Amino acid sequence: MRPDGSTLAHGIGGAQDLPISPELAIAGAVAALTVSFTVLALAWRTPRYADSGGGRPAPAWLDTLASHPAFRIGLRVLGMVLFLYTAMVAVLGPDRVTNPFFGIFYVWWWVGLVPFSLLFGPVWRAISPVRTINLAFAKVSGGDPDVGIFRYPERLGHWPAAVGLFAFVWLELVYPYSTELGPVRLWCAVYVAVMLLGGALFGNTFYERADPFEVYSTLVAKLSVWATDGGRLVLRSPLANLATVVPRPGLVAVTAVLFGSTAFDSFRDSTTWLRFLQDHDFINANGAVASDTAATIANNVALLVFCVGIGLIFAAATMATGVEHRTDRRTLPNRFAHSIVPIIVGYIVAHYLTYFVEVGQMTLIQASDPFADGSNYLGTADLQVNYWLSYHPTLLANTKVIAVVIGHVLGVIAAHDRAVQILPARHQLTGQLPLLFAMVGFTAGGLFLLFAA
Amino acid sequence: MRRLIASVAVVASTLALTSACGDEEEPPAGNGEPVSIEITFEGDTVTPRSAEETIAQGTDVELVVEADKPGELHVHSSPEMSLKYGAGTTTIPVKLSNQAPGVVDIESHDLDVVVIRLEIR
Repeated sequence: MRPDGSTLAHGIGGAQDLPISPELAIAGAVAALTVSFTVLALAWRTPRYADSGGGRPAPAWLDTLASHPAFRIGLRVLGMVLFLYTAMVAVLGPDRVTNPFFGIFYVWWWVGLVPFSLLFGPVWRAISPVRTINLAFAKVSGGDPDVGIFRYPERLGHWPAAVGLFAFVWLELVYPYSTELGPVRLWCAVYVAVMLLGGALFGNTFYERADPFEVYSTLVAKLSVWATDGGRLVLRSPLANLATVVPRPGLVAVTAVLFGSTAFDSFRDSTTWLRFLQDHDFINANGAVASDTAATIANNVALLVFCVGIGLIFAAATMATGVEHRTDRRTLPNRFAHSIVPIIVGYIVAHYLTYFVEVGQMTLIQASDPFADGSNYLGTADLQVNYWLSYHPTLLANTKVIAVVIGHVLGVIAAHDRAVQILPARHQLTGQLPLLFAMVGFTAGGLFLLFAA
Repeated sequence: MRRLIASVAVVASTLALTSACGDEEEPPAGNGEPVSIEITFEGDTVTPRSAEETIAQGTDVELVVEADKPGELHVHSSPEMSLKYGAGTTTIPVKLSNQAPGVVDIESHDLDVVVIRLEIR
């Protein structure tokens, strides 16, 4: 890695996964296609998850534990410790890619958000240091952290979160200096500043709707079994939980950025794109800008095309149905947007599994010696990264394809259930078809990228 | 619903079978000898450029670098390696036999291009 950055920046982490075999990619795509039409033909005709919620109460001890102030405070303290440690290595650590700051930022935080939210529910909400600081300010000034100076405008919805997520993926995937300390630190400082300002202006509602990480974490947590019902902890089927996603403005944009950026990350590693950036006259001899500038521009355009393209395909596919007179067609994309979440999660598992497991371990090792002076603060400096997963490429490839197919199945079922709930009876079958095709296209495209990258 | 579950099961087993067959592809046999790769730098050009090569897991690589000026190559293995070479011909042994299967890029630091992409199978 060039210390001064590189247009072909690899980000952090070394070797990448082998591409999956074409047979496996085709098998996965055929499975997705078959399951889709099976669901359409055989699944229920009356909505199952329309009653928003339900579920069975969690064991009493678990409910007591989860709502206990000590547990809540413990999580906030954990979040603050992680935050302060990260701030310390960001400010005092060396400007090298081995600084654990990068691993904490790109792997533990960004990628780790998904498995933790999937397993434990909305974790970022529970540990978010910006929420904690806002809470501390409120306590000191005698205010209420839930209430700000203004009411959060309904029309804004999740749009600020979509913009924030795009800013993150832009930094990670396109910005040429993404592994330099200065710019990444600046990004974090701006994030914290915007979050504290937003919290002061709009109260906790701001975090719920506009914090990119909280919105992401809470959305993925809707695929977990955890929910609360009237303040009580309940266990719910992930599909029933998913149906409780509130369709706010900007929800489609959030999902489009998450899915589009992950797909772009696969795409930019492909040999096709590499050859285009390195060898095409369009980049090298365009007569206008230097080749590295041209490559950066091409990456910017490609990321934007992936995100906007996915959003537009999804919006068009959900609106292409017959509706009742009183239903506004334009509300449909956000009301179906929850159904794309399992597809995103499945694809993220496929794309980031080894990266998370292996670079995640590497970060833990580096975190023990953040200043590269041979210290061993956490006692993890001498551990070795376990590459077991990479040494089982067949298992890995199968896991990836199965994750993508399971995500697809859940997505199709979620969309089907919403369709029988909100579409008029005579349009329920035909109205689902465009979205079904879009989903099969997304899944097949994702598998193609796993095969071609 | 039962038929749905049945179809999912059928599909999953088909998938498992297909993938079991698909992975039998034989990697080029490693005979313990390092694989030799020639890289030539001339002015602002490098040969090869965006090339691909498959090597067997457990094999080492030997880079034979011919350059008109000194420079540096980056190997995106786990962990990453930086290799310096001088003007003239330099032979650099690269220990890759301890790498798990995966894709390792060898990049020219000075030209900022991927010279060759190694698929370790």
